[in-house]
Amino acid sequence: MNNPYMPRPYTLIATQKETEIDSTFVFEAKDRFVGGQFMQVSLPGVGEAPISISDFDADTLTMTIRKVGRVTDRLFAMKPGETLYMRGPYGNGFKQAWFKDKDMVVIAGGTGLAPVKNTIDTFISNQAAIKGLQIIVGFKSPKDVLFKDMLHKWQEQVPIILTVDQGDDTWPYKVGLIPSHIKDLDLSDVENKTVILVGPPMMMKFTTLELLRLGFAEENIWVSFERKMSCGIGKCGHCKIDETYVCLEGPVFNYTKAKTLLD
Amino acid sequence: MSIDRKLVTKNAYRITKIRNKTALRVRVPGGHLEAKYFQIIQEVAEKYGDGTVHLTTRQGFECPGIDFDQIPQINKMIRPLIESLGLDVDYGDGGYPAAGTRNISACIGNRVCPYANDDTTRIANSLEKAVYPHDFHFKIAVTGCPNDCIKAHMQDFGIICLTEPQYDSKRCITCEACVDNCKKKVTGALSVKNFNIERDIEKCIGCGECILKCPAGAWTRSEEKYYRMVIMGRTGKKNPRLAMPFIKWATEEEITQIIKNTYGFVERYIDTSLPKEHIGYIVDRMGYQVFKKEVLEGITLNPKALVAEHIQWHGYHYKTDMQFNHEGL
Amino acid sequence: MGYELTQQEMKAYFKTLTKQYRLVGPIREKAKGSFSDTDKIVYGVFEDIEDLVLEEKAFYSPKEFLMPIRETLFHFIDGQIVEPKIDTKPILIFARPCDLNGIRRLDTIFLKNGDIKDAYYERRRQLVKYVMIECREGFDTCFCVSMGSNTYTDYEAAIRFEGDHSLLEVVDSTLVTQDLSRVRKTDFVPEYIKENKVKVEIPPTDKVNKSLFEHPLWKEYTRRCIACGRCNTSCITCSCFTMQDVEVSDDGLLDERRRVWASCHIKGYTDMAGGHGFRKQNGERMRFKTMHKINDYHKRFGEHMCVGCGRCDDVCPEYISFSKCINKLSEIIKEESHE
Repeated sequence: MNNPYMPRPYTLIATQKETEIDSTFVFEAKDRFVGGQFMQVSLPGVGEAPISISDFDADTLTMTIRKVGRVTDRLFAMKPGETLYMRGPYGNGFKQAWFKDKDMVVIAGGTGLAPVKNTIDTFISNQAAIKGLQIIVGFKSPKDVLFKDMLHKWQEQVPIILTVDQGDDTWPYKVGLIPSHIKDLDLSDVENKTVILVGPPMMMKFTTLELLRLGFAEENIWVSFERKMSCGIGKCGHCKIDETYVCLEGPVFNYTKAKTLLD
Repeated sequence: MSIDRKLVTKNAYRITKIRNKTALRVRVPGGHLEAKYFQIIQEVAEKYGDGTVHLTTRQGFECPGIDFDQIPQINKMIRPLIESLGLDVDYGDGGYPAAGTRNISACIGNRVCPYANDDTTRIANSLEKAVYPHDFHFKIAVTGCPNDCIKAHMQDFGIICLTEPQYDSKRCITCEACVDNCKKKVTGALSVKNFNIERDIEKCIGCGECILKCPAGAWTRSEEKYYRMVIMGRTGKKNPRLAMPFIKWATEEEITQIIKNTYGFVERYIDTSLPKEHIGYIVDRMGYQVFKKEVLEGITLNPKALVAEHIQWHGYHYKTDMQFNHEGL
Repeated sequence: MGYELTQQEMKAYFKTLTKQYRLVGPIREKAKGSFSDTDKIVYGVFEDIEDLVLEEKAFYSPKEFLMPIRETLFHFIDGQIVEPKIDTKPILIFARPCDLNGIRRLDTIFLKNGDIKDAYYERRRQLVKYVMIECREGFDTCFCVSMGSNTYTDYEAAIRFEGDHSLLEVVDSTLVTQDLSRVRKTDFVPEYIKENKVKVEIPPTDKVNKSLFEHPLWKEYTRRCIACGRCNTSCITCSCFTMQDVEVSDDGLLDERRRVWASCHIKGYTDMAGGHGFRKQNGERMRFKTMHKINDYHKRFGEHMCVGCGRCDDVCPEYISFSKCINKLSEIIKEESHE
């Protein structure tokens, strides 16, 4: 039986604590991935969960995961050298071809930064392929900030607006919700700028409204959806919205399509 | 006018407050009858009575305003009704055997109600045949489920129909509709373990709600039907109280035999110096353990049946449990 | 080739077939109805042709023989992953055209949606052949004619039950047994129902717009629907499932992954880890199901998902009629286009 549900074992090689509830897990992996795709990660007897790929190279696969349920709770107890099971990758991901020669703005809220991390890295390391890059990253509070070292590295190379909903005395960057900072971007030739937007549903909704208000074109906005998924291959039905299956046609959608997807 | 009051009342005719007038009482075991018999009741009421009919609390009809001397004609008229009950034809044209043991009433049961776990009218009829006619004042009622719409808890013997839910995990979609419902509406006997539903048999009261709620047919009814019998509930002028569970997961045969045995128990211990002594007071006087031993005599209970070790009836005594004042404080 | 069989010949013929096939059809489960002293008509395995129940519609569809309510995907045994074996005896499903059209919808989802086939479905599907039960009358809630699923031609055999002398058409030569050599040949071609009591008018897919999604109609269903999911579990075309992982042994060395039917009406269907979910209102769930059955699926695959079997109407404890809902939508769209 050519069984698409059969998971394969992957060895955990490193973990990195990001926040109290988020950690990064690096696995040995030789598969080919696209940033923004997801894996069905499973622990036998515990469950299976769709988790987006945050980074990869020829030999590794990295996922930054928030502890939110049965599977992730158990995942956090894993130590390097141990094995878990995965199948995938699934979904379209952020295809670099869509962004060639584009003047890019990447906007990520909270754990939404994970699925775009690899894409940002690729933009930064190959800036000749795009026209420009600006980034807005927002978190709830300073203690929720992911990829601190990486963010500092990015800051040295491209303009980044780093904001938290609520700051504290030690927070040196911006404070306020992401939509309130969009006007602070370089908005020259705004109708030709291309946006990648990932984050929680409410953040995505209000950010999109602000982008459109400021003159961004609908067809230049790309968003990533998160839905319950049990199969990842268009069978289980959970991620279906109108005639679209998020696992097959997404999770990345152009806004012209995304705006028609009513749950 | 001379009438034998005791004989008349035994024969379903009542002494009324109007001198020389009686009332016919037509009881309907199980509370369900063919509509064609209304014609007879109507005729009795209009021809011999005052043209009105009272619906009694124990599911009968009472036609008031009848002259005592019309009793023989009326008894002939109501003959088809008596036959419809399948009563002993020995009664002939002697009318309705009544008084003593009261009409065995029943909720509408599973002929109509989705919640009912059995045909309560059928059970009432079958009990009727087992115990009627009898002089002892027994109140028996059958209710289709633990909602107890017939108020089985107000009877000497309240019979509550149960089903033992059967769970087929292969059909379960773990929607938890049964668990949520049991928690909210019943006793919270169900819980989820490893996506399967576990039924706590201590807590389960056999109402069958889980079966009704299941969208996938994972819960079904047991082949065997079961009954919980609550006993010695009463109203009255001394100590009104709710009946308490005596036996649960009993079969129909078992509950029938227990009731029959109880007639013997009463026979042995009734205080004949009183005009009538209600059975609950006899049990109070003799003690539950004596009652239990004697009514279970000769019955081999099915392995699922559970009998109450002790029963503490609650309720209140008018004489001792009341404190009132005018201030409402 | 057509045959006319007496009841005795029918019994003998199908008895022979049970050697090669599991016969699956609508049968009576005594006293297994939800209400006491009621039977339930379900799809089940039978051996005697007389056990088939034709005068009532089955509460559930035959889909559970293609996608069991719970299906073990594999066992994890101390680091090994083992796929469970299934009974590979072929199945003859006795079903009416609506259900056979419904199975084609299941085929579409499991075998044609996306590039990857569902191997678990496929291995069961390959075991199945159809004996189409001719259906010329239908039942009170059926609306197969409106859905175009009153006819079906891709069957291995078709049968008309007519008391003493049933008529049989056999297309698949492997179903021609010795028993048939002795019976009377006849030209039998099954007929199909031409008109149902219930008719629906499907809103044209190009007219379904955002305003329909936000229409107050759905609020009516928020009030009426109790989200029990019977419309989904009884539906021949509902195919959603969820994964369940179970630790079978306490030492954690034996684990099971299975899938189990899921349903867009039942709580938790859209809930993600972390708690965010969509469609909290029951009316929104009704809208989602309705749109899938009579709009979205058509946009994706070119035919409607709903086959008009009417089971959702039969089983709804709140007397919500799906056919009525469809017609209400058409009315709304007509009114809107007049304005």
